[in-house]
Amino acid sequence: MTDAVLVASVLDGLIDPWRSGIMQRALLEVVLLGATGGLLGCWIVWGGLSYSAEALPHAMFPGLVGAALLGLPLVLGGAVGLLVAALLIAAVARVPSLDRDTSISVVFTSMFGLGTLMALSPDTPTGVSELLFGDVLGLTNGDVAVAAALTAVVLLALRLLHPRLLATTFDRDGARSAGLRPGVTDVALIVLIAVATLVCVQALGNLFVAATLVAPAATARLLGRRLGPSMALAVGIALLSGVGGLLLSYHAGTATGASIAGVTVAVYLVVAAAAGVRGTLTGRARGPRRTRTG
Amino acid sequence: MLEPFSLPFVQRGLWEVLLLSGGAGVLGVWIVLRGLAFYAHGVAAATFPGLVLAAGLGFAGPLGALAVALVFALTVGRLAARDDAGDHSTLTAMVLVGALAAGVLLASDVFPRATNVNSLLFGSLLVISERDLVIAGCVSVAVVVASLLLGPRWLAVGFDRTGSRTLGVRAGGPDALLLLLVALVAVSTLSAVGSLLAAAVMVIPAATVRPWITRLRTWQLATVALTALQGVGGLWLSAETNAPPGATIAVLAGAVFAASVLARAVHDRQRTRGSRPRTAALTPAVRGGAR
Amino acid sequence: MTDVLLDLDGVGAGYDETLALRDVSFRAAAGDRIAVLGPNGGGKTTLFRVVLGELTARTGTLRVEGDVAIVPQTERSRLDFPVSAQDVVLMGTIAGRPWWRGPRRADRDAAREALAAVGLADRADATFGELSGGQRQRVLVARALVRRARVLLLDEPYRGLDTTSAGRLDELIAELAGEGRTLLIATHDVGQARAWDQVLCLNGRQVAFGPPATTLTAETLAGTYGGELLRVGHDGELAVVAEHHCG
Repeated sequence: MTDAVLVASVLDGLIDPWRSGIMQRALLEVVLLGATGGLLGCWIVWGGLSYSAEALPHAMFPGLVGAALLGLPLVLGGAVGLLVAALLIAAVARVPSLDRDTSISVVFTSMFGLGTLMALSPDTPTGVSELLFGDVLGLTNGDVAVAAALTAVVLLALRLLHPRLLATTFDRDGARSAGLRPGVTDVALIVLIAVATLVCVQALGNLFVAATLVAPAATARLLGRRLGPSMALAVGIALLSGVGGLLLSYHAGTATGASIAGVTVAVYLVVAAAAGVRGTLTGRARGPRRTRTG
Repeated sequence: MLEPFSLPFVQRGLWEVLLLSGGAGVLGVWIVLRGLAFYAHGVAAATFPGLVLAAGLGFAGPLGALAVALVFALTVGRLAARDDAGDHSTLTAMVLVGALAAGVLLASDVFPRATNVNSLLFGSLLVISERDLVIAGCVSVAVVVASLLLGPRWLAVGFDRTGSRTLGVRAGGPDALLLLLVALVAVSTLSAVGSLLAAAVMVIPAATVRPWITRLRTWQLATVALTALQGVGGLWLSAETNAPPGATIAVLAGAVFAASVLARAVHDRQRTRGSRPRTAALTPAVRGGAR
Repeated sequence: MTDVLLDLDGVGAGYDETLALRDVSFRAAAGDRIAVLGPNGGGKTTLFRVVLGELTARTGTLRVEGDVAIVPQTERSRLDFPVSAQDVVLMGTIAGRPWWRGPRRADRDAAREALAAVGLADRADATFGELSGGQRQRVLVARALVRRARVLLLDEPYRGLDTTSAGRLDELIAELAGEGRTLLIATHDVGQARAWDQVLCLNGRQVAFGPPATTLTAETLAGTYGGELLRVGHDGELAVVAEHHCG
């Protein structure tokens, strides 16, 4: 095989998949995912909300299954499920002596159990358990349009909230004394995570939403400390690993949601390992900078 | 009504949840007290690819699960020991999702015939074996012994990390063991409740009891009892409805938790109306400022 | 001075290349009650961490006699802990025994004695979070006492206390110092600081150290809490530091 033929076949492998409408819609969806996940993810990672981002999609599961059983649009069911889950987590977090992680854990485990019961009960039509793993290749034009609208909402909200998010994430007490209300900003961020989850869930499935919402931003955080470049980097990483996952799934015939999630997380782990090795070599662990307690 | 319990495989399930409840209950208290809920969820979910590999290649499931759980405990645990909350949760989320993705890829594309993804993720009464009973028993004994020996240290470090270090309590070893035990308990709960719903026995019962107790020992005993009760109840439901036991136990535990929290809120309101509020002692610390 | 428990000479420390605190030089004798004054971020926490050995000094030398213990502020999370006052004090005995051994009779006796020493013998079985703010402070002091620490660091112990509790804490502090301990007390309250033996003023560096009567001048306070407001000249500040450098 000559070089020219090799290049041509590689190019073909990269371009060929996008000729079908299914893959074009999937590509569009992945771009939307990358934009929301990358930008919102920065606030999730910087605000220490990874567990919320991981658990919310699980907690909305009964809503999704309910919608599938009743024949309603999945987005509607998911929205109701998320609303209930968020309210429950907020309610449980008010119990004194239980920390945030414990309340999230309690709510998501019970809700996820409920969804599983509904999905796996003998009366449920087959295919509902697909909701766990997502199906980016089964999207309709309508699905993509809804995802685009939701993405636009998230991006606009992030633009408007930017100063408040920055002030609150950087220094809660300072923000409070400056007249901002961190609680309100927290709620807004959780609502945005919920909306982004709706964008992701149909394509990636319940189990893998956290990959897009957390991994690209976490990777970017390892590489840079400034907010602006980190956000751009996160979006870039999300787009590249999304497209990479799609190509992998197309050529290797693997499950799509898992492939995208796998590639995204793999990128994070490689970068984290590299950063760790570099940190050890230069003898300056990243630890001390952050151990300041006040 | 008790008919399901006469079936041999349900009886085995019964023994499994009873044996588990000792370890899971005692450790659940430490998980809630030390804020390890996300870690517990992560380590349990991370065992999934190990289980799939074991089923596909034909070696013992718990072995594969344990191997992955240990890797998880080592990577995340080292960061957790540095008391670095933000990065710890991000890494946990990443390893968790990565493990799930690897598991699904393995299950759907490499060993499509060898595995039943649902039973691995949500537990199954049919897969509980004698070996699982032995594992559950051993892990429970290990947890109870470790809790008796190291409990004071886990408590002191959780109460006041900096203070206890200056008092000469070294956190490293005992805390690493705590993380290791969480991984062990997570592995031992797999066959009954599956890798996604482990918190149903590891976190929820301890959180349910929490509002009602003021001492560690009572908390542990009540949690063990509640874990056992909910396990038996969930198992019965599972046998009756033919649903995965992990899901029934999770739903049951969630319902009991909601009842407990509501009852506590009503109880507190009545006491507040009757006498001086119980929380009065807590206010000075919030008031802040110089005297 | 024969019984110096704490001796710092040109100590500087920080979390990265820039030092959060520098030029700290003072000596503390047994029985000294030293107020540590300064704005938030002025270096009080950094100083405590250096003395505790949590943070190594980047410059200068530090010498500590005997054990050091900190009496932290009671944070919200600690109020929720399912422990009794006795349990908290027993935490101070853990390091004194091998890991496989639980508290023995001697440990329990020591804990009871320490609680009695802070005047809480009758509240040993009370839940920690249900004690009053002043009582919680004293329980944490007892936890430090059971270790027989000679240097005690108190982090804003008066925060949130009412007058009665504060008066009782005053007595306790005097008693502890009288028994030959050195106490470093971080505080915001300049009036309180006047009642003690020495004052250490920090604002990123040591502004002043010495007896309150001569140290707590307008210039020093301006240098500690923001000189710009009072327009104190740069020279004035330096003069204050030089005068009390070897206190």
